[in-house]
Amino acid sequence: MSKPIYEIVDDLPTSGMTVRALKSLDFVVPGHWENLVGFDNTIKAVTQETDPAMIQAIGERAVQLYNDKSQGYQKALWLYNTVDSASGALGAAALANRLGQDISFLGLLKHLAPKPEQAQSIDLAVKLVTEVVAFCLINGIPGDSLGDFLAALGDYGGESLLRMAALIAFDGLVPLGPDFIQKVGAYLNGLSPKELEQNQTFKGVNELIPGDSSEGKLNFIGQSFESVKGWMGDLITKNSLTQEGIVDRLVQVADVSKDKLDYLGAFLDIAVKYYSHTGTQTLARRLIERAVAEI
Amino acid sequence: MIRFNWRKALAALLLSVLLLSGATACSKVDNSPYAQVQKESTQRGAKAVAKDAEQGSSFNKFFPSSGQGYTVVFSQEKKGFAEAKLKKDGKDVALLSISDTISLPTAAKKYESATEKLAGYPVLEIGNTQTGILVADRYQVKALSRDPEFTKENRRAWIQKFDLIGLSKLN
Repeated sequence: MSKPIYEIVDDLPTSGMTVRALKSLDFVVPGHWENLVGFDNTIKAVTQETDPAMIQAIGERAVQLYNDKSQGYQKALWLYNTVDSASGALGAAALANRLGQDISFLGLLKHLAPKPEQAQSIDLAVKLVTEVVAFCLINGIPGDSLGDFLAALGDYGGESLLRMAALIAFDGLVPLGPDFIQKVGAYLNGLSPKELEQNQTFKGVNELIPGDSSEGKLNFIGQSFESVKGWMGDLITKNSLTQEGIVDRLVQVADVSKDKLDYLGAFLDIAVKYYSHTGTQTLARRLIERAVAEI
Repeated sequence: MIRFNWRKALAALLLSVLLLSGATACSKVDNSPYAQVQKESTQRGAKAVAKDAEQGSSFNKFFPSSGQGYTVVFSQEKKGFAEAKLKKDGKDVALLSISDTISLPTAAKKYESATEKLAGYPVLEIGNTQTGILVADRYQVKALSRDPEFTKENRRAWIQKFDLIGLSKLN
C-alpha cells in the first residue's frame, strides 16, 4: 500500500539541501516562498479555516480524492518523484542511503562526473514536459479554450513558480550557461528518437509522456519546449537571473568553492529534490482547494 | 505427481509467510485523525467520485465572466468539479466552484438546515470563508474568500453572477 497523502505532506522536510537551495531562489516568487509542510498546516494555510471539525472534514475529503486512482493525483506525484530520482541516477546509487541528509559537497565530488551537455539538455526538456503532464493530471484541462488553458498555466505562483525557476536555474543556467535556451533547442532539434530513449530521465517517466512512439514523444517534448521558451526567457530577464548570481547563492548554500563549478550541476541533481518537494506542495494545495469546495 | 504437490505446498507455505509478514509490516499503528478514512478509501472498489457525476467541462459555461476589474481564471476541471480563481490587480481574492454532490451526498444534505435563500436556492455560510448554495438539489456552487477584503456580501454577489438557471437545467 502506498503511503497516505497526509504522511507524505507531514514528512516534507523543513531543512536540508533541497530547502536551502530553493530558498536561495525564493526572490523569484512575489511575496517570497513559504516552505509549507504538514497536512493540517497546509489545510489551514490554503483555506484560512480554523475550526478543527472543518479542517478534519476537508482533510478527509482530500484523502478520499487522493486515494481514488482515477483522479490522477497519485500518478502526478509519481511523476514528480520519478523525474527527480531519474535525473539524479548518474551517481545516485552509491549515495542512495545518504540522500535527504545534509552531505558535504566535497564528500560528494569524488562520486560525480559532470553530465554531458546533451544529456543535461534532454533532462531539462523532459522535466518541463513532466510539469505539463503533471499539471493536467492534477488540474485537468481547465476552461473551454486553449486560451483558458494557457491562462491557467501562466497563473503559476508560489511553489509552482519556484519549481520552474529552479528548473531554469539548476537545470539550465548553472550546468549549461546563459545561452541554455538556444542550446537545449539545438540539441532537441538534432536528437534522434533512439538517443532520447537512452536518456535516464526520459526512461523514468517515458510511459506518461503523450505520444505513441519515441518519435511522437520527441515531437511533444520539442513542441512543449518551443511554447514555453519565451516564458522562460521573460522569467530570466524579469528576475535578472544569471549563472554567476545563482552560483554565488548556491556556493553559500552548499559550502563549495567556485572552481568546482563543473560539478555543481551534478551535485544539484543528486542532493536537491526540488521537483518532488515543491510538486508535493502543489499537489496538496490543489487537492485541498478542491476538497474544501466540494464538502 | 508427489513432487508437484510438494512444490504446491511449499508455494502455499511461502505465500502465507509472505502474507503474514506483509500484514505485520502493514499493521504499523496509524494514529492520524485520518487513519479511518485512509482505511475506507483504500479498500477495493472505493471511489471518491461517482460514476454518474457530471464532467467538470459541462460546468464551465455557467461560471461568471471577467469584468469590473476582476478576472476569472479557470484553475481546475475534474470529473464532478470545476473551479476558477477570481483575481483583482493580479491577486487571488476568491475561488469560485461548482461541484456535483452525487459523489458526496453529505455535501447536499447540509443544505436541509438552511434557513435562507439566495436567488431562490438554499444558502449557507460555511466556516470562515465560504458561502454555498445548492442548485437543483444537486449542484453546489461556492464562493470562497482568499482575501479578507472579499466579504460575505462579495461572495453572495458573485454567486449570483453564475448562470444558475442554466445550471439548474443541466442533466
